[in-house]
Amino acid sequence: MMRHRRMSQSEEESHGIDLAPMLDFVLNLLIFFIITAVFVREMGLSVNRPQAAAEQTQSNDGNIMILITETGEILLDNREVDVRAVRANVVKLVSQKPKAGILVLADAKSPTGLMVQVVDEIRQGGIQNVTFATN
Amino acid sequence: MRHQRASSNHDGESHGIDLAPMLDFVLNLLIFFIITTSFVKESGVEVTRPKAATAEARQSGNILIGVRENGEIWMDRREIDIRDLRLLIERMHVERPEDTVVIVADAASPAGVVGKIMDEVRQGGIKDVLVGASSSLGG
Repeated sequence: MMRHRRMSQSEEESHGIDLAPMLDFVLNLLIFFIITAVFVREMGLSVNRPQAAAEQTQSNDGNIMILITETGEILLDNREVDVRAVRANVVKLVSQKPKAGILVLADAKSPTGLMVQVVDEIRQGGIQNVTFATN
Repeated sequence: MRHQRASSNHDGESHGIDLAPMLDFVLNLLIFFIITTSFVKESGVEVTRPKAATAEARQSGNILIGVRENGEIWMDRREIDIRDLRLLIERMHVERPEDTVVIVADAASPAGVVGKIMDEVRQGGIKDVLVGASSSLGG
């Protein structure tokens, strides 16, 4: 009897359940997810790390090694080069030794920004496979 | 025509508009947002990112590890010790295996710290590590 009266209150609704509470709930969920959604696109460089055991045996026979000193100097083949000259030098060396891996060996106290710049220069030269080691 | 459709198809429905299409649409939107949402774990420190022209975007890079210029490591809005990092990363990797790490290091931070973090994160199980940089093309 109660039920019948309720049905008549909601003006002769004859089909199924009432969707309104579910819709309220779903809309609330939707608003929550819209607000919390963050579309971040983190930018960065992916560099390799030397295998811990192989680090010592990886001598510079056949590998191109770029040293970054504590004071921020860049050494390539035992001579100092400018950051902007790294790309040209590396491209030249790789064309001579196409199979060589590239190792950026940074001093533990050298600034990260310089390391990123050097890796970026190498990658701009078209070489993606760069290993980053610290001492 | 319109009158006929309204009255004969929806047996005697007299109130308002049909909610079903709207509900479909809203549910689709909801599913879209549930799927695309990723809860980024901010590092909690402000750093000057190094610039790089070849920086690549990683959509799912959502564990951010911040390194300040004095070498402090920040993750999830608190400072952490390098020795705790592996355990934390292991736990996060078990919770959400698709997460990747971006090391957001200050341009003046020591490179040795960044190297150590990369090792710890890899040993913690997350192989996809980026060294954060901002694209210099974007300014």
